[in-house]
Amino acid sequence: MAQRIGMQRALTQAPTRSHTTESLMQRRHLLQLSALGALPASLGLGASAWAQSKDAIQFGCPVPMSGAFAANGKYADLGMKLAIEQYGKALDRPLAYTLLDTEGKPATAVRKVQESAQQKGARFFAGGILSSEALAMGKEAEKAGGIFITTAGADELTGTDCNSATFRWSVPTFGAIEQTVRPLLEAHPKAKRWYTITPQYVFGDGLLTAAKNIFKEKGIEHVGNSYHSLTEKEFSGYLTNAMAAKPDVLLLLNFGAQSSDALRQAVSFGMHKNMTILIAWASGLEQFESLGADLCDGVYFGAQYWHTADTPLNHDLVKRSQATFKSNPNYSLAGSYICTKLLIDAIIKAGTVDQKAVVAALEGMKYQGLTGEEEVRKADHQVLKNYYLLKGKAKSKMANKDDYVDVVSSGKSFLPVDKTGCKLA
Amino acid sequence: MSIYLLQTINGIGIGMLYFLLAVGLSIVFGLLRFVNFAHGAFYLLGAYFCYQMTRWGLSFWLALVVAPLAVGAIGWFTEKLMLRHVYAKPHEFHIIVTVGLALVVQELVILQWGPLGDSVAVPELLQGVVMWGSFVYPKYRLFVIGFTAVLAVLLWWVLEGTRLGSAVRAGSESTEMVSLLGLNVLRIFSLVFALGAATAALAGVLAAPIRGAEPFMGIEALGVAFVIVVVGGLGSFGGALVGGLLIGIVQSVMSTLWPEGARLMIYVAMAAVLLLRPHGLLGRKG
Amino acid sequence: MTRHFHLLLALAIVVAMPLFMQSGSLASEVLIFGLAAMGCNLLLGYTGLLSFGQGIFFGLGSYTIGLLLTRWPLPMPLALAAAVGMGAAGAAIVGWVAIRQRGTYFVMLTLAFAQMFYFIAYSASGLTGGDNGLLDIPRPSLAVAGHTLWPLATPWQYYGFVAVLFLAAFWFLRRVCDSVFGRTLLAVRDNEERAAAVGYDLRLLKLQAFVISGAVTGLAGALHAMMTGIAPLSNAEYHTSEMILVMTVIGGTGNLLASVLGAAFYVLLGDWLSTLWPRWLLLLGVVLMVVSLGLQRGLWGLGESLWGLVRRKAPKNAPSAGLNATGDNA
Repeated sequence: MAQRIGMQRALTQAPTRSHTTESLMQRRHLLQLSALGALPASLGLGASAWAQSKDAIQFGCPVPMSGAFAANGKYADLGMKLAIEQYGKALDRPLAYTLLDTEGKPATAVRKVQESAQQKGARFFAGGILSSEALAMGKEAEKAGGIFITTAGADELTGTDCNSATFRWSVPTFGAIEQTVRPLLEAHPKAKRWYTITPQYVFGDGLLTAAKNIFKEKGIEHVGNSYHSLTEKEFSGYLTNAMAAKPDVLLLLNFGAQSSDALRQAVSFGMHKNMTILIAWASGLEQFESLGADLCDGVYFGAQYWHTADTPLNHDLVKRSQATFKSNPNYSLAGSYICTKLLIDAIIKAGTVDQKAVVAALEGMKYQGLTGEEEVRKADHQVLKNYYLLKGKAKSKMANKDDYVDVVSSGKSFLPVDKTGCKLA
Repeated sequence: MSIYLLQTINGIGIGMLYFLLAVGLSIVFGLLRFVNFAHGAFYLLGAYFCYQMTRWGLSFWLALVVAPLAVGAIGWFTEKLMLRHVYAKPHEFHIIVTVGLALVVQELVILQWGPLGDSVAVPELLQGVVMWGSFVYPKYRLFVIGFTAVLAVLLWWVLEGTRLGSAVRAGSESTEMVSLLGLNVLRIFSLVFALGAATAALAGVLAAPIRGAEPFMGIEALGVAFVIVVVGGLGSFGGALVGGLLIGIVQSVMSTLWPEGARLMIYVAMAAVLLLRPHGLLGRKG
Repeated sequence: MTRHFHLLLALAIVVAMPLFMQSGSLASEVLIFGLAAMGCNLLLGYTGLLSFGQGIFFGLGSYTIGLLLTRWPLPMPLALAAAVGMGAAGAAIVGWVAIRQRGTYFVMLTLAFAQMFYFIAYSASGLTGGDNGLLDIPRPSLAVAGHTLWPLATPWQYYGFVAVLFLAAFWFLRRVCDSVFGRTLLAVRDNEERAAAVGYDLRLLKLQAFVISGAVTGLAGALHAMMTGIAPLSNAEYHTSEMILVMTVIGGTGNLLASVLGAAFYVLLGDWLSTLWPRWLLLLGVVLMVVSLGLQRGLWGLGESLWGLVRRKAPKNAPSAGLNATGDNA
């Protein structure tokens, strides 16, 4: 779906020509027929009727639309669309965005960000679902003199690989574990034996390390851990191993389809009857829909966002989402929405699209966010926000079709900046 | 019970499903000398047809019968209308046309059912676990073992005991001989291809309550199927069984011994067999 | 004669892209995958070997240049040469093992190796960065004794660099294919038994083809890593091998330039379509089926047929100035 939405030029002033790429694009425009809007942007022919590229502030939505994370990408696209349409314009310039299909691959993501910066002069990017693509894009955004804000999970994004152009809205591994393991321990103080199933890569290890630290502190016995590859679908072997260790809690540190598969298979083994199951990094509504209420019943989920959060911005988003899409916002949509909104708000606050000014406007920005009061921490560009612990409810207790869980607790836990390894010059 | 015994039993459960997944690929290769890269797509369709039928309120048992028949029919037409025309061409086109088909099927599935993936409930009769001392095992997986064992016997009987089976086995040796004997070789090709598709779909239906229905399960299944037919022997029914069980058990036992290496070991096994005994453990030469 | 014509065509493509395209990155991507597709075609079109292992060499090239520009720094030209060497070395190993089998078994072996390489790259995260890949790969300018000869900072500057290497590789590959070695490969492709009977060392020939293919593909991988600044795990994935193969087949296995055409088609069409329709892979699947069923000589063959049609019509038009066969009036 071509995504170039903006307002007609009735209200625009003389366009500002701050980028050299603008003049480059002028030179390469052979025709200005709006009917040619559908032609490949790569050919440089024509400008779409929707957004005059001279005027509009260009955003990019680099998310996977094909490949295993296409579902997240689809909703992320809708989230940005919602935000862009809501504002319509900023600084008296129309807003426009392009969907960039990263295919879940970092190299494609980087290349498309480069292209978007070259072809459309796009400088503001909100996206990056997978850690690997987000890391790569953050670096590219810095090189291109743009800003990239993401919901990906890798600690390094606001840690060892942080840079002036990258911002992150989601809570990284430390907070995700703190806000799920601790409250769970409070709810089940007798749960002394924990078994973990971990995807074998940096992100999985981040979650595991954070968990182990709490285990040590609280005297929990870590009865075993099974690593698995990122393409694994068969968890029965790991679950058999887990059952033999007789844990009180099964802690699943994988995410997406893998956590769904692992949960599904764990339930089939009857494990939910003998122990508590916690998925520390769940997606939220998307995942519950694909699992179904029966599988979610009694299971604990950690989530970045839940649509019943009682905050003004969230109520507004739910209303908008219901009006436009006839459904509640899920995490991918909400995340993309707030990331885009942050960018737009920062541009308005800075009064310019100059990168350094917008970065400065973002840094330290405190605002009423989707999860309550949120703040963009200046030192590492991490947004400080709540993380939720949810518990699945029985199908019979669901008040409406999206009422899969009760919110058990929420809170903010973040590593102090000096522990994140981030050194922003 | 020792953990290794538990893992072995679990491995048999995985392995029987792998056998069902791989046997169609193996037989199709044996007769048509054709590596069907769309085999995973038939598995995918089986799972999604099952999902759709349960969405419509129909029973899983009905899906178990209808989905393989439907996908088998699709396989029949695919062979008749499309694949038949590439037999005479160099083998790379066999591969490319089925790669294209697999892509088309996958994207159509996403168009129809969305990219998210869905769950299929285990039929009520088979919910819950059996407990035998410390041995806990889902009833459904036991059913899968039993069902595929019966199916294996049935398939074996078809291949060994019927005229069709003889024709297929003869055709694996020499299609010229078969046509000289007066049998319609092309019709046999279609039938075998349909059978391959149907068994893949059946594996998909059986896998759906365990793994859900998700658009990229076809690619993963294809990878596993390749390993099994290579290890067991391309073209060999018994090889698919032995290969499936072996890979299933290795995968399961590895999750205790060396969990990270489980997947790697599978491909190492595949490469080792290809080098040392290229026709597989039970394959025939030629 | 044809060789010079093809070289001119390649030059024309290289020069045309900056004129019609806005994105230097996209143009570089076309040439980079053109290189990879040519490498694949050397095996497929010229030697009759369908390899699913090209991702291995592409990945090796990326990882090598990544490591040699960040962790163990070497001057860029040396690092590039090393990447080419690693691609060749990897291909030598894979080839030496894989060519023990023929036909379908060969294909399966390359597949198995591709999967194994992926898992090794995934596990050896100390060396490869695992799932994150190697990041922060610089793009140093071409410099001699501190004097910058050729800055590579902007996308179009880098494109120029890629274009020169591409043309050099193209010229080299054409020479290889037109040489006695190249013709022998064709003989092997057409009838292995006969070639062996005549006395050719099949193993050695195939191995040499593999090494050259690996070298070119490694170069492509290295250039890609410098363009994007990363050496991701996905370069070593099955999908990359599949993609390269698809480009080669779509373009047409008849000659090298066809592979470039296939790469251009896939990259440009994919880039454009993906903004319009997320399910564009569906169309790609259809194209693959069409090519296998009817259009075996790929896009190049299609082009040749159309050209043939046009030329056959021409004699009717030329003589009569007033009225020509298609009915247009002067």
